[in-house]
Amino acid sequence: MALLDIRNLTLEIEGTSGWMKALDKINLTIEEGEIRALVGESGSGKSLIVQAIAGTIPENWVITADRLTWKGQDLLSMSANERRKVMREEIAVVFQNPVLSLDPSATLGEQLIESIPRSLVDGKWFWQRAAQRKEIAIKLLHKVGIRDHDSYLNSYPNQIADDISQKFLIACALVSSPKILIADDPTRGMEISTKTQILKLFTKLNQTRQLSILFVSHDLLAISSMADSMTVLYCGQTVESGKMSQLRKRPLHPYTKALLDSAPSFRKDLPPRTPLATLEGSMPTLQHLPIGCRLGPRCPRAQKECVKVPENRRVQEHSYSCHFPLHRDKK
Amino acid sequence: MTALLSVKNLSFVKKPKSRWFKKSKGFTLHPLDFELNSGETLGILGLNGSGKSLLGKLLVGAEKPTSGEIYLNGQKLLGDNIKQRCLNIRMIFQHSNESLNPGLTASAILEEPLILNTGMSPIERQNKIEKTLKLVGLLSEHRFFYRHMLSDGQRQRLAIAKALILDPQILVADEPFAALDPSVRSQTINLIMKLQQDLGLGFIFISHNIGLVRHISDRALILQDGKVIETGKAEAIFSWPKALYTQKLVNSHHSLINPKSN
Repeated sequence: MALLDIRNLTLEIEGTSGWMKALDKINLTIEEGEIRALVGESGSGKSLIVQAIAGTIPENWVITADRLTWKGQDLLSMSANERRKVMREEIAVVFQNPVLSLDPSATLGEQLIESIPRSLVDGKWFWQRAAQRKEIAIKLLHKVGIRDHDSYLNSYPNQIADDISQKFLIACALVSSPKILIADDPTRGMEISTKTQILKLFTKLNQTRQLSILFVSHDLLAISSMADSMTVLYCGQTVESGKMSQLRKRPLHPYTKALLDSAPSFRKDLPPRTPLATLEGSMPTLQHLPIGCRLGPRCPRAQKECVKVPENRRVQEHSYSCHFPLHRDKK
Repeated sequence: MTALLSVKNLSFVKKPKSRWFKKSKGFTLHPLDFELNSGETLGILGLNGSGKSLLGKLLVGAEKPTSGEIYLNGQKLLGDNIKQRCLNIRMIFQHSNESLNPGLTASAILEEPLILNTGMSPIERQNKIEKTLKLVGLLSEHRFFYRHMLSDGQRQRLAIAKALILDPQILVADEPFAALDPSVRSQTINLIMKLQQDLGLGFIFISHNIGLVRHISDRALILQDGKVIETGKAEAIFSWPKALYTQKLVNSHHSLINPKSN
C-alpha cells in the first residue's frame, strides 16, 4: 500500500476576481522506500502541495480531495490532535530557505534539543534526561555529516553557512525517525560540491533507513541523479508522472520534454553555442489562467481540443494528461 | 589584431582588519592575465569565495585593483575615467529583481544611464529606449510597466536591456541565470547568444553551473581561492581537465548526470 496517496487534490484561493484554483486535481503517490521527485517551475504550486500535506494551509483557503491519505488514514478529516501526532512522528518536512525557518534568537543546540520528544529519553531525573538529549543531538549531527558538533551546537543561525543550516534542519527532521521526509527545494542556490553532499546524504538515508523522500525542486540535474520516480507539475496541474528512467528516455508530455531539453548537461550530442530548445512565453499568473489544458497557449502541439481539460491517462506506471502526447500519435 | 579586452597582472589584496574582538579574513586575488575577443564568451568558474564575483567587480570598476592593468581595444582603462568604462563594460546582476528600482517605470530605469552618460535629447532617449526594448524581445508598451508587473523572464530581459542601452562592447554577468526557472533560463541564454552574434559583444559569464559554462563559453577560467587553476579553450578544459581541482569539479558534475555508471 502506498504511504502517501493523493488523488484529485484541489486548492482554491479567494482573490479579487473570485475563486482561483491554485492546485487543480493533483495526483501523487509515494510508496515505501521510494524517492519521488516533484518538479515544476516556481509558481507551479510545488510548495502548496507540501503545505497541504503538512497541514499549514491558511484556514480561508478551501482544500478538497478525493483522497489525501497517510497509510490509509484520511488526513483531511482527522482531528487536529491526531494530525499533529502523525506529523510529529511519521512525516518530517524541511521547508524552503533553511535560514528563515530557524529561530534566530536561539542557538542551534537549543533548537535541536527542543525537538527531541520525551518518549526518546527515559532518565529519571532532569539532568539525566538533559544529558541523554545532548547525546541524541550529537549523534544526529554526526549522521547528517556535521563533525564539529561542539562549535555548531553553541552558535546562532546567522553564524553558520547555508549548507550547514540545511543539514541541521534535516537533522531536526530526522529526530523522531520519520517514515517520510518531505524536502522543499533543499539544494536551492547551492554550489555543486555541497549539493552532491546533501544528495548523497539523502540517498544514504533512503538506503539505510528505508526512508521515503519527496524531493521538491526544479533542479533537474539533482533530481535525475537520485530520484526513482518523478511527477511534473505545470501551473497547478499534474502533467506527467512515472519512473525517472522512462521519463528521461521518452517523455510523453511536451512540457516534460521542454523541461528536460532546457538543461544542456543532459544532451551530449548538442554542439556548443547552439540555441537551446524552449517554450515561448512564461507561466500564466493565477488571475489569468487559460481554460482547459493550462499549457495550451505555450504548447507547440496545441490544437482545438486543448481547450478541454485533458483527462489523466495511464500506460503501465506512466501517467500523463495531454490530448496529443509525443511518441503516441493517434491512429 | 588587438584583443577587445586584455587583462594583465590584475591582482587585488584585501588586508585582514582586526580589532579587539573582531577578526576579519583578508582575501588575495593572485595576479591573472586573460584576453577576450569580440563575439567571444569567457566563462569564469569557481566555488563560493573563490573570487569570481570580485573579478567581475574589478572589471566593471566597482572595486579598485591593487595592481595590474586592463586594456580595452589596446587602450588602458584608468581608474578615474568612469565614463569610458560605463559606456563599454556593463554588468548584469544575479538578482534582476533587486537590481531594478520598484518605484520607477521601465523607461525611467532605462533612461537613467542615458541621462548620466550621453548628451541625447529627450526624444532621442525615448527612441533609444524603444529600440533597446525591442532588441531584447519586449514590447514598447513595456516601458510604462513597473517591476512588479513583469514576470521573471521579462525582468531578466529588462536587466539585459539596462546593460545594453549604452551599446557596450563587453557584458559582465554575475550568475545571471541562477535564480531563474529552467524554461526562462534557456530563453535568456538564447537571447544573449543571439545578441552576441548580432552585436559582436564580448561576454564574461560568471557561474558555478558547469553544464551551462560548457555550453555557451569559448574559453574558460577556473578559479580557486583567488588563484587561476586552469585556463584555456572550454571544450578542452572540460573534456580533458588537467588540474586536480578541475577534475574534481568535472567529475562531480558527471556523477550528477549519470549516477548509475559509477
